[in-house]
Amino acid sequence: MSLRALVALAGLGAAAATAAPFAYITNQGSHDVSVIDLATQAVVATVPVGRSPAGVVASSRAGKVFVSNPDSHDISVIDMRTQAVIGRLEAGAAPVGIDAAADGSRVFAADWYGNRLLVFDPARPAPVARIDVGRAPAGVAAHPDGDTVFVAERDDDAVAVVSLRDGRVRARVAVGSHPFALLHDAARERLYALNVQSDDVSVIDLKRLAVIATVRVGKAPYGAALAGGGGALLYVTNQHDDTVSVIDAERLTVVRTLDGFGYPEGIASDGGRVYVVNWMDERVSVLDALTGRTLRQIPTGQNSRGFGAFIGAPTP
Amino acid sequence: MTPRFTRRRLGAALLLAALAAPALAHGPTRQKAVEKITIDAPAAVVWAKIKNFDALKDWHPAVAESPADNGNNEGSVRSVKLKGGGELSEKLEKYDDAQMRYSYRAKDGGALPVTNYTSTIQVSAEGGKAVVEWRGAFYRGYPNNDPPPDQNDEAAVAAITGVYQGGLANLKKLVEGK
Repeated sequence: MSLRALVALAGLGAAAATAAPFAYITNQGSHDVSVIDLATQAVVATVPVGRSPAGVVASSRAGKVFVSNPDSHDISVIDMRTQAVIGRLEAGAAPVGIDAAADGSRVFAADWYGNRLLVFDPARPAPVARIDVGRAPAGVAAHPDGDTVFVAERDDDAVAVVSLRDGRVRARVAVGSHPFALLHDAARERLYALNVQSDDVSVIDLKRLAVIATVRVGKAPYGAALAGGGGALLYVTNQHDDTVSVIDAERLTVVRTLDGFGYPEGIASDGGRVYVVNWMDERVSVLDALTGRTLRQIPTGQNSRGFGAFIGAPTP
Repeated sequence: MTPRFTRRRLGAALLLAALAAPALAHGPTRQKAVEKITIDAPAAVVWAKIKNFDALKDWHPAVAESPADNGNNEGSVRSVKLKGGGELSEKLEKYDDAQMRYSYRAKDGGALPVTNYTSTIQVSAEGGKAVVEWRGAFYRGYPNNDPPPDQNDEAAVAAITGVYQGGLANLKKLVEGK
């Protein structure tokens, strides 16, 4: 190998070590987070966090990962460059779903038992606002407009549209039975609500704040991610079916159902790959986004969940 | 500090604790049990032994009766009577004869100290032998903080693990004939 090639390789290696995205998988049974380097597809760190970590959001803009720990009532803050916990935020009774503002300046967590949306400035150790929402708030999705945050009100079968400026719920959209996870589709200005009890996905048009379609999937849909060219495919994990539904995001029809998963929960995509967290099997399945084929399995910690947008890379 | 002041402070502290208690209450965390056994027989033979949803009584040593109201059709409910007393009501949620697998969900309030319990049993072929995997996901019986010892996470895992181990060991004995 020529010197030039070696130098080029070394350069690539260095770039991969600092800039390659990482997947942060919460392990509820071992109270830690498995950090997967997506360039090498290997676990590069296992980070102890609070008790029973469930929710996660990797904020590339903040260079930080926020992990909700329902059993220690807090949020662990992980630095993406050092893969170490650098902070802890007090988070009500039981934080579950979590998301971050597009610019990384705010973090939002649903307080499952407190029936509130907690708003954090990550530099401060306690919430800067607490906004009342409906019963058993679960999934959270922040809109890039900087004002709107959506919260799945599981036991009310609704999605709350929260205005941060007003500090209150400004609208509600009735969805299917027991919505848990939410996913914002920026390209189509839609919100997907996954209804774990009615086994379907409510598609909400955000301009009209109305459900425009309901897509039947497998039993207990739990997590969703957009993948493929331009987010053409909506992937949904079906916990109780051990399957993943692949939906044509334009036509809103199921194009295929993949099997071979073990209680699949969290899901996220990056660079033509889809990462599915298997709670039962304690591993991440790496899929080819276009074909749905499983390329590889990566072991995680115990009872892995990865509930949220778990992939990110620190922006330089 | 006067005793009276101390009492008042204590009273305030107790009141605060009482107010904080419901807010601090957090739900249990989902638990699981996975048990596997290798049986020296073709997978199809082992599947034939357990494939009928109502056949539990024929191979699980703790089960006296297990009639199902709609055979192997999804939605069929089997009423399990345990030999030691106690009952369970389990609904068939998924049945796949080709994959040699079925999944069911238990109604809460049965003889096991769990809630929201779902389970899957599957037979697969591995090098001429059968591997049976029985796995379940569930929450403990007690929904709030500080569960009594017989309804905590450990009790739930121990109970389900016991059901699986007992059933699989007996199934192996029945099929292998030793």
